[in-house]
This record gives sequence, structure tokens and C-alpha cells, in this order.
Amino acid sequence: MGNILLDMITTSAILFLTSAGLLVVFGVMKIINFAHAAFITVGGYATFVAHEIGLPPILGPVFAFGVGAVLGALAEWVIVRRLYARPLDAILATWGLGLILGQLVVLGFGRGVQFVPPPIQGTVAVLGTEYSLYRMVLILLAIAVGLGFTALINGTRLGLSTRAVIMNEQLAQGLGINSARVRLITFAIGCALAALAGSLLTPLTSVDPLMGLPYLIGAFMLVMVSGGSLPALAVACIVLGGMQAIISTYLGSVLGGLTIAVFAAIALRLRPEGFARA
Amino acid sequence: MTHRLPVTLLAAGAALIAGAAQADDPIKIGVPVGLSGANSVVAPSVVQSAELAVAQINEAGGLLGRPVELVVADDGSGASGAQRAFDSLIFSDQVDALISMQTSAARNAGLPILSRGNVPYIYTSFYEGGSCHPNMFVNAWVPEQQVPPVVDHFQAEYGAETYFLIGSDYSFGRGMLEFTREYIEAAGGEVVGEEYLPMDGTDWAPIISNLRSSEADAVITSTAGGAPNVTLTRQLRDSGVNIPYANLAVDEGTAGDMGDVAAGIYISASYITGIESDENAAFLAAMEEHFGDELSTPNELSVPQYEGILAYAAAVEATGSTESAGIIEALAEVSVDGPRGTIVMDHQRHAPLTMYLGRVVEGGGVELVTEFDAVSPGEQCPDL
Repeated sequence: MGNILLDMITTSAILFLTSAGLLVVFGVMKIINFAHAAFITVGGYATFVAHEIGLPPILGPVFAFGVGAVLGALAEWVIVRRLYARPLDAILATWGLGLILGQLVVLGFGRGVQFVPPPIQGTVAVLGTEYSLYRMVLILLAIAVGLGFTALINGTRLGLSTRAVIMNEQLAQGLGINSARVRLITFAIGCALAALAGSLLTPLTSVDPLMGLPYLIGAFMLVMVSGGSLPALAVACIVLGGMQAIISTYLGSVLGGLTIAVFAAIALRLRPEGFARA
Repeated sequence: MTHRLPVTLLAAGAALIAGAAQADDPIKIGVPVGLSGANSVVAPSVVQSAELAVAQINEAGGLLGRPVELVVADDGSGASGAQRAFDSLIFSDQVDALISMQTSAARNAGLPILSRGNVPYIYTSFYEGGSCHPNMFVNAWVPEQQVPPVVDHFQAEYGAETYFLIGSDYSFGRGMLEFTREYIEAAGGEVVGEEYLPMDGTDWAPIISNLRSSEADAVITSTAGGAPNVTLTRQLRDSGVNIPYANLAVDEGTAGDMGDVAAGIYISASYITGIESDENAAFLAAMEEHFGDELSTPNELSVPQYEGILAYAAAVEATGSTESAGIIEALAEVSVDGPRGTIVMDHQRHAPLTMYLGRVVEGGGVELVTEFDAVSPGEQCPDL
């Protein structure tokens, strides 16, 4: 029983980590960043590079966050800022950006699988069972990311500007807030969070050119259900992630893989605008 | 007169060139292979070993006095790409034979085109078994050859009675584990769990939890190659699973690269680089010399490709022609002494093979545990 409970919580934590970056971009900019998967992949490779150049494992995620932020800012500056008035074109453009990033990764590192040694190994006794220590750490990291971003939005001047842009962009501009700068920083942070997720996943997965892709659809569904709010995303991850773990355990992982898509579709049928302001 | 001489010379020259072209007309071997898509990681090593085989044949004077030429085409690792590749190789390049390592989907899609073109085809990839075509031969393993060494060893060495099977949800993964289940049950063991994760799944945690609560004596996995394999192995180790563990889908190179995470894993293969024979040593040295820094490490998918081309060459020499009917008859009889030993595709278009049970050691690399001589492919194509 303990195992299932832990599977539920850790699955939710992984979902939260992999979808937070997408939510940040969607929440502020109202566009879906389909290059999100590619930024997760970039984070994995950044961690691999950090390991190769001899950085200590603890700096791997930091390095990945930085690489994601720089590439994200560059992408916003070159491509995305031209498309704010055209959300459908932004889907195509970010999808294309994802393909380009994926191919650049292939050109740089080849199609093969790369390996990053896990920083933490072994198991820990929790709830009467031996459980993966790293998965337990992921719970704390997911909470840290959630709290960190909440603090940024609610406790800083940038957060204040961001909230103003979310509420009414024209009014915010009228008040002298540089909304273009807010968007640039938001997109960079969203991409950096994706890369951070990719980095944190490396002990559990392989690093390969497609490593981010499996997370994209789940993240997309969760962000839609949550309607763009971080606390709602956390709840959606706990509910749907928990259900995925239960269904995978008792009915098999093939059905488990459908859980999020099916229940997200039902949730959106009941409440098309998401559950953010429920 | 002044004009006629050059014209005559030209005509004579043209005739000479045409005549020469006929005598030197190369024997063409088509290689449809996944240069892009899922097989793109292993394809370079397959093409290299094919190139070595052809270079060695040409250095020794070719076949029937004719040079051999390789025509490589990308099959995209899938059905639609394979149809295009088979079509262009057979009908526009007019190859004399097809020899290649492909995915099962690509192979199946190409077979109808093989019937229309009526060329011999040697399939050099291990696969789930039971694929039959009058023009097709297989020189790699089927489940009947790969699985028994693992189960036999687990029973003898660890006294394992209960087994848990984990795979990726696709035809090869399910096919392998279905056979494994039958073999375990026939051998008196019990399968206490059999679970599959979709191909794009990344979280094995619920399956691993079920494995732990099943308290199985041993675990056998058959995932898609590459990422799913690494992901499952890492998460199994990360969860502290330390019962005997055989991975039916990992190759020697990947297992070695995974390092300590993979330590202790059993693999079952018809080729590992550590085979101690003169043929293997000569092959490895020739590969090294031919490709130098560009060398992709020879492996279980590239070595059968090398031997497949040698088998075709032997069949051409034996029949003295490249005519399909004769070649197909000869392919069932000719034997090749290659890096994997002596191989004859005389068991219903399949070949008995020496199987090696290896174990990944700490720090990477694979040590040979034991070998099983002339393991039969069993009943694959009783109608052929």
C-alpha cells in the first residue's frame, strides 16, 4: 500500500516539474510553447555536458536552467515576439523551433543514448517499504519549484509587473510597464523550467534527442485543465497523476498511459475554461 | 573519307566500351536499412560491415570475375520507407539480391515487392520469428534461440521458479515475452507477472512496485532498444531491485555504456565482441584497419550483415550465376565461417546458432558466462 501511495505522489511531482514551464508561458503569454519538449531535451543534454566538463552533479540542474533561459530568451527575441497577435501561428512556429532544436541536438551529439551518472542512488525506508531515494527527493524539488515561482510572482517587482500584464496588458503598458520585457523574461523562465525538469529527470531516464517528447502531451493537457494557474496545476497533477499511478498498478500501464488524456478531456468538457478560478 | 575514319573509330570505341561494360557489369547487392528513424543508431555499423564484406570480395577478384557493388537505401525504419526502398532497389537499381537488417515492420512491408521482383533476400536482424517467404533467408536469432539460455541458466544457477516479465508495448516486446512465458511454463517455472508500458512511456514506477510486491525470483525484460531500455534499467536499479535480471533487448555496446547501472544484467546474444576465434579476431582487425577512427563498434546486428553477404557470395560461386531460383536453392546449403562461427541457413530458412550468455561487469563491458552450441531455431517455416 505504501508503494502505491509513494508512486502516486512521485508521479505527480514529475508531472508538475515537467509541466510548470509550459504553464508559466501559457499563463502570461496565452500561447502554448510546443518547443517545451525540446527544452526538456536541451536540459538533459546540458546536464550531460555539465558532467562531461567536470561540474559537480549539484550544478548540473543549475547549468541546465541557465542554458534553457538563454536559449529561451533568444527564441523569444528572434521568433516568438512577432507572433503574440497570432496564437495559431505561434503553435506552428514553436513546434518548428522544437524540431530545429531537436535536429541541432542530433547534429551535435548524434542520435544515440547518452548517460549521466545519477547523483543520488539507493533506496530509503518510507511507509514500511524500500523506495527510491531520488524519487523522494523529486517531491521536495517539485515543491521547491512551485514555492520558488510563487515567491517570484508575489514577492518581487518583476512579479508585480507580470501580474499586471496578465490582468490587462494595455493598461499595464499605459502605466509604464515594459510588457515586451516581461514577456521576454517569462518565456526565458518557462524554457529554463523545462530545461531544469529535463535535467532533474536524467537519473531516471536516458538522455536522447527525443527524451522530452513523451512529456509534452501530458503537460499540455494538465496546463489546459489548470487554466493557467500554478496552484491549479499542482492540484491537477496530484489528482490526475495519482489516478494514473492507481490505474497503472491495478489495470496495467497501457491503460495508465491513457489516464491523463481521457480525464483531462472529461474535465475540459465540464469546464472548458479550466479550473483556475473555480 | 576524312570524315569516315573518326566515325568508325568512334563506333569501334563505343562497341569496345559496351563489351567491356558487360564483362565488368557489377553484381549489385541492395541494402535497405534504417538510416533515419529508430534504426539510425545501429545502421552505420551495419553499412560498415557490408562495405567490408564487399571490399574483401572485390580484393579477392570479385564474383564470377565481376565486381560487387553495394547499393544502400534508407528505409526510414518503417513500412512506408521500406516499400519505397525495396521498389527503387529492385526495379530501378535492378539489384541481384537484397541483404539487410531491418525492423519487422519494414521487412513485412517489403515482402510483397520481393515477390514481384523475385530476388533473393537475406534478413540479418534478430526478430520475433515466424516470418516466411520463398525468397527470404534469416541468419540471425529468433526467440527459440535467445530465451532458453537465460531461463536455463536462471534455473540452474539461482534455482529461480517465479518470473516477472516486463516489456514495451509493441509486437517485438510482446512476441518475445509471450515466447518466454511459454518456455518458462514448459520448463516448470511460473510467471507471476507480465506487464507492458506504452512505447512513449517513461515512468516504470507502478510496474516496478508490482514487481516488488510479486516477490518474483527473477525478472526478464524486453523493451524497445535505446531509450526505454535505459529508462527501465535505471529505474529498476534505482528502486533497489536486485534479483537476477536478464535483458532480452539490450546490446553489448549499450549495456557497456550504461556502466554500473547495468552491472549484473544478463544478456543473451549470438555475437559478442569477446568471442575467441580466429575468424572474429581477423574480422575485428579488418574492420579496425578499414574504418579507423570512423569505426562503429561491430555488434549483434552488424556481424550477421557481414556474414549474410558472405553467404550470398558463396551461393553465387556455388551456382555460377546470379539467377534467383538457383541462388535460393544454394542459400539453404552454403556454409559461412564468420565471426559467429559456422552458419548454415538450412533449418526452414533459418540457422542454428551458437548463443552466448553474457553478464555486464562493474565499470562496463560484458563477460562471457557460458555458451550454448548450435541452438536450433525450432519450427519457423514448416511449409518452406
